[in-house]
Amino acid sequence: MPAPRPLLLASEAEEMARLARCLDAEVRVLPPVDRPDTFEGWRTEILSIEPRKRIVVSLWRSAEPAQDIVELDGEEWIRRFEAPYLLWNFALGAAGRLCSDGGAIVAVNQAPAALDAPGRTPELAIADGVFSLVRSVAAAEGPRGVRANLVTTPIGLVDANLIAPSPPLDGFPGTIESHVAGAVRSFLSEDAAGLTGRVLSADGGRSL
Amino acid sequence: MKSSPEESKVVVVTGATGGVGRGIALACGEAGWHVWIAARREKEGREVAAEVDAVGGRGHFVSCDVGDIGSATAAIETILGHEERLDGVVHNATSGLSPVPVSLADVPLADFQDHVNVALRALDSLARASFEALKASQGSLLLMTSEAGFEGKAKLSPYAGVKGAQRGFARALAREWGRDGVRVNSIAPLASTPAMERAFEMDPAMADRVLGRNPLRRLGDSTEDIGRAARFLLSDDARYVTGHTLMVDGGSCPAV
Repeated sequence: MPAPRPLLLASEAEEMARLARCLDAEVRVLPPVDRPDTFEGWRTEILSIEPRKRIVVSLWRSAEPAQDIVELDGEEWIRRFEAPYLLWNFALGAAGRLCSDGGAIVAVNQAPAALDAPGRTPELAIADGVFSLVRSVAAAEGPRGVRANLVTTPIGLVDANLIAPSPPLDGFPGTIESHVAGAVRSFLSEDAAGLTGRVLSADGGRSL
Repeated sequence: MKSSPEESKVVVVTGATGGVGRGIALACGEAGWHVWIAARREKEGREVAAEVDAVGGRGHFVSCDVGDIGSATAAIETILGHEERLDGVVHNATSGLSPVPVSLADVPLADFQDHVNVALRALDSLARASFEALKASQGSLLLMTSEAGFEGKAKLSPYAGVKGAQRGFARALAREWGRDGVRVNSIAPLASTPAMERAFEMDPAMADRVLGRNPLRRLGDSTEDIGRAARFLLSDDARYVTGHTLMVDGGSCPAV
């Protein structure tokens, strides 16, 4: 029997449309990141649909200039860290509840490697927070056979003017089609039946 | 300004009226440091400041509700109005919701926001308010994170999430501030604290889970085990250590 189509809970972004095509996924759009007042309503609505066996979650953000933390005012901190991080909590909580027994959840998050972290403190804070949330979902839902894993990519966050050394593989930061989709498919498949709470950094080895 | 002689260091500890924060304050006091207790509860804060005096340091209290926008910044400004330098900032305060078991899918926005305000917004404010002073002293920022930030927690997911986010914050900021000689580190402690006791009460099986995997078979002492490790990271003995999370958990966390 063919595997059921995955459900992709994602931001409204061109990259997410491409990921949906690669995965042949049904798409449900996340609420706008700048509207936290809509997050609870979105969660209630999404939890009213039928459970799904395979769920992919991705909150996609557009590129931000690298900026030292002391130069970010409070409003910028809220926009770059708090709002997206809060939405990740809602999206992953909903995915955990919505996933049927024995299913698989994969989160796809943009994350800078440590070498590229200066000026991207909000983004690395989100990345490590999401990592911990995915592991929390893996721990909470594991007893009913649900796996939860994470794929990270620097696409859209880091793409030029890299400090030395260069990434081991050419083609940094990669594309959704060449670097991200395959990692997601691997985690969704039964080939990954023994993997949960794990992260694949699809970054050409930049985070080694 | 060069790094200060060890006996005259000035540090501030948030959430230091009890538990790990108090332990860090006392350990720094043992070294003769000036220790500012930044907390909401003045009476308890002044009592800890007196304990710092008693162990050989100089204790002070500054009012600080890290959940309120602007309070952390105001606390740093108050300290800098009284001291000629600031060598260390320790962000230890955590949301009162931290030990409350909950499913991630059921958490209201207001509760997520409380976790974020105390753990991260306050941290951002403390960092920006103290940077120039830490740069002048070649000092350091120390975050109290948790093993939960590495391995996640099934029933404490919002807490685990912000503790992970703090670790990412520290890893990035260490690379940002290193060029100015300011160090940024974290400690993931496992200590016997009132918060841990409350968590055990709410989840009776937790004690077995926590101690069963701990090679040393005990919770850490807030002053002697956790506080002194924090003092090391704040001291000149750790002057080449940055971007690091020190697990002070008796070898408990298997996820590192």
